[in-house]
Amino acid sequence: MKEVELDCNGEACPIPLVKAENKLKEMEIGDVLIVQIDHSCAMKNVPEWARKEGHNVEIEEIDDGEWEIIIEKVK
Amino acid sequence: MDIKKNKYYKLWLKDAWPYITGAVLLSLFQIVTLATTGNPWGVSGVLATWGAWMYEAVGGSVDKWYYFASEGAQKSLEGGLINHGGSIRNIGIIIGALIATLLSSGFKIKKLKSWKQVVAAVLGGLLMGYGARIGFGCNIGALFSGIASLSLSGWVYAVFLFLGAIFGSKLLVKYFM
Repeated sequence: MKEVELDCNGEACPIPLVKAENKLKEMEIGDVLIVQIDHSCAMKNVPEWARKEGHNVEIEEIDDGEWEIIIEKVK
Repeated sequence: MDIKKNKYYKLWLKDAWPYITGAVLLSLFQIVTLATTGNPWGVSGVLATWGAWMYEAVGGSVDKWYYFASEGAQKSLEGGLINHGGSIRNIGIIIGALIATLLSSGFKIKKLKSWKQVVAAVLGGLLMGYGARIGFGCNIGALFSGIASLSLSGWVYAVFLFLGAIFGSKLLVKYFM
C-alpha cells in the first residue's frame, strides 16, 4: 500500500480531474492518492467522480483556498 | 461558539451550493433583470462598452463604428458608468464573487504554473471576446437569455457550444496534461 501525492495547485478545471483519473488508473487497490488543489470547482468535481467510482474520499482543508482530496482506491 | 462549526455557516457560506439551487436563483434573477431593465441578462456586451470607453479615454472615437452606431449604444456610451446598468451589474458580480470567496475563507492568490497558462488564457480570452461580439452574445446573452426567451438561436448556440467544448477538451489534454 503506497501513498501518492499529485500537485494540482495552480491548475484550473478540468485538469485536476483528468490528472487524478489518469493517476488512479496506474495505482493498485488499497493505494491512496492525495490530490492537492486550489481551484474550488475541482473541490466539487474530483470528489464527485471518485465517489461515483466507489472509492473512499476525504477532503481536508489545508489553508484558505487550498485543499487535499484523499482518495483510497477500493476497486 | 466557533462559527466554523456552525451548521448554517457550513451549509450557506462554506460549502458549495448544489447546482440546482444556483440554477433556480439564476432563473429568478434573470426574470427580475428582464422585468426591471427591459433587456435580457448579458455580460460581454458590457465589456465592449468598457472597451469603447477606454478607447475614448486615450483620444479615440467610436462614433463611426457600426457596432456603436445605434442611438441606444451612443446614449449608453455618453451616459457613463454610473448610468449603465450592465456595468453596475458586472461590477456587482465581481464584488459578489469576492465576498462569497472571503466568507468561505477560500481566498487565495494563485501562482502561475507555466507560461503556457498565460498564452492559453490570452488566446482563449481573445477568441471568446471576438466570438461573443461577432455573434451578438456570449454564453449568457446568447445562450442563457436566448433559451430563456424561447429563441431557437440559443439552442443552436448550445449545440455548437458542446462541439466546441469537445474540441477544446482534446486540445487541453494534448497541451496541458
